[in-house]
Amino acid sequence: MSDQWTDRLSEYLDDELPPDERSALEQHLRHCAACGAVLADLKRIVTRARGLEDRPPERDLWPGIAARIGAGSGETRAIDLAAARGRRRWSFSLPQLIAAGIALMAASGGAAWLLHPAAQSSVAVRDTIPTTPVVAGGNLSARNAGDRSRIAGQSYAAAVADLERVLTQGRGRLDTTTVRVIERNLATIDSAIAQARRALAADSANVYLNSHLAETMQRKLDLLRQAAALVSSVS
Amino acid sequence: MFLTLASAALAALSLLQQIDTTVTVRTGQRLVVDAYGGEIEVKAWGRNAVRVEADPGARTSVEVSSSSGAVSVRTEGRRGPPSSVDFTITVPAWMGLDLSGVYTDVKIAGVRAPITVETVQGEVDVDGGEGAVSLRSVQGSVALRGAKGRIDVHSVNEDVRVSDASGEITAETVNGEVVLERVDATTLDAGTVNGDVGYDGPIRNGGRYSLSSHNGDVTLAVAENASATVTVSTFSGEFESDFPVPLRETRKGRRFSFSLGTGSAQVSLESFQGTVRLVRPGHLSRNDDDHDKDQDHDADRHDR
Repeated sequence: MSDQWTDRLSEYLDDELPPDERSALEQHLRHCAACGAVLADLKRIVTRARGLEDRPPERDLWPGIAARIGAGSGETRAIDLAAARGRRRWSFSLPQLIAAGIALMAASGGAAWLLHPAAQSSVAVRDTIPTTPVVAGGNLSARNAGDRSRIAGQSYAAAVADLERVLTQGRGRLDTTTVRVIERNLATIDSAIAQARRALAADSANVYLNSHLAETMQRKLDLLRQAAALVSSVS
Repeated sequence: MFLTLASAALAALSLLQQIDTTVTVRTGQRLVVDAYGGEIEVKAWGRNAVRVEADPGARTSVEVSSSSGAVSVRTEGRRGPPSSVDFTITVPAWMGLDLSGVYTDVKIAGVRAPITVETVQGEVDVDGGEGAVSLRSVQGSVALRGAKGRIDVHSVNEDVRVSDASGEITAETVNGEVVLERVDATTLDAGTVNGDVGYDGPIRNGGRYSLSSHNGDVTLAVAENASATVTVSTFSGEFESDFPVPLRETRKGRRFSFSLGTGSAQVSLESFQGTVRLVRPGHLSRNDDDHDKDQDHDADRHDR
């Protein structure tokens, strides 16, 4: 399902190909629907990633994240979010799509995590993120794909667990019908995630299955975030 | 900014009497309604004034206030949560709306301005809206007609329907259909987990259209003169087309692409285990009969 150009598509998207290779690839794209489809997928992921809000953290998240992934305290420094956004590269190889997708979701989920009233602690508010982003879309090439996938998966699981805890703790404040509807829809999404995972286990390089799994997991985060917001609104 | 509120504040506190309050407004003001339960019906008229009619009963107070930025209407329980209150509110067509509630149905007609609606257990039905239009319900259907602009419509447990609208559109639910008919989208993201997704409208050159479902069918109406690169993806579903398509290749994992015309627009059609179908304009609704949703969903519809 790939040819000599498939792995160059992310460089093309990042405008990092030499002019002659860029020209050759564009010529190839005119005739190769497969590469065109992969390129469309990559563009879609980049578009969605750019659409994620870079909401300033309401507290420094790094110590908690570092503790979860066993990375120690690590070096942190304040950076300008707008500048960081401008510097982002969006290089993905096909097997990395899942890691990228989950990482982007976890980045979004991390913001949702802050909806928990308890998370809005007295810790000083700082526009601080780790210099080696664990869950941001950029800099994924700094680690191998396996590590990225593992770390992204851990971050996603942590964000889901936090939001589920918010829902569990706050369910008594919500109408029972609302709770039942949310839980039933979460179960629907979980079922879809499980099916996508099983399909992916048999065809790990399948671009569609990778992106579908990532999008379905994103839906779960979105719904959990919505539920957490409801809990927060009636607190 | 809210420090200027008090100067123009109008309060209408009711014990038993019906509320009927009219407030003069000027361009730039929005209507903000924070309700708990009942129905909010908003209509447009030709006057630069907002009329609020309600019958809150004895246990609930209704406060109407005006500031430089907004006319605000909110309910408050005298002892505990407010009871259900049905509002009929008449506004100038240019007035933006920001309506929220919990057990609240929302119905809007004739407003040509940005609209935001959020409810938990309630139906949302909007005719109109221009600019940013965002409609959300957890357990209630969302229907939007005649809107223009950046449209964002979400439900969780019910259907989402958009018709006779145009602009950049996002339409999503988890357990329900997403149907867009006579819609002119420049970009479209339409998706659900458990339900069908359909789009019937022009495919614009340079546009981006993404329709996806996990369990349901995905149907796209394509005019004969459409120009698009179409990517179809499914795991265990099927692909059908009411007309011949120029397939050059198919790919492992049931994923393939083809171009129509010059291939200007990017179209992504995905269903994990449903049918991806191309039809001609006007034939979208015939697939509705095939819709098959789990019984629990139907039970929840009537459990409110």
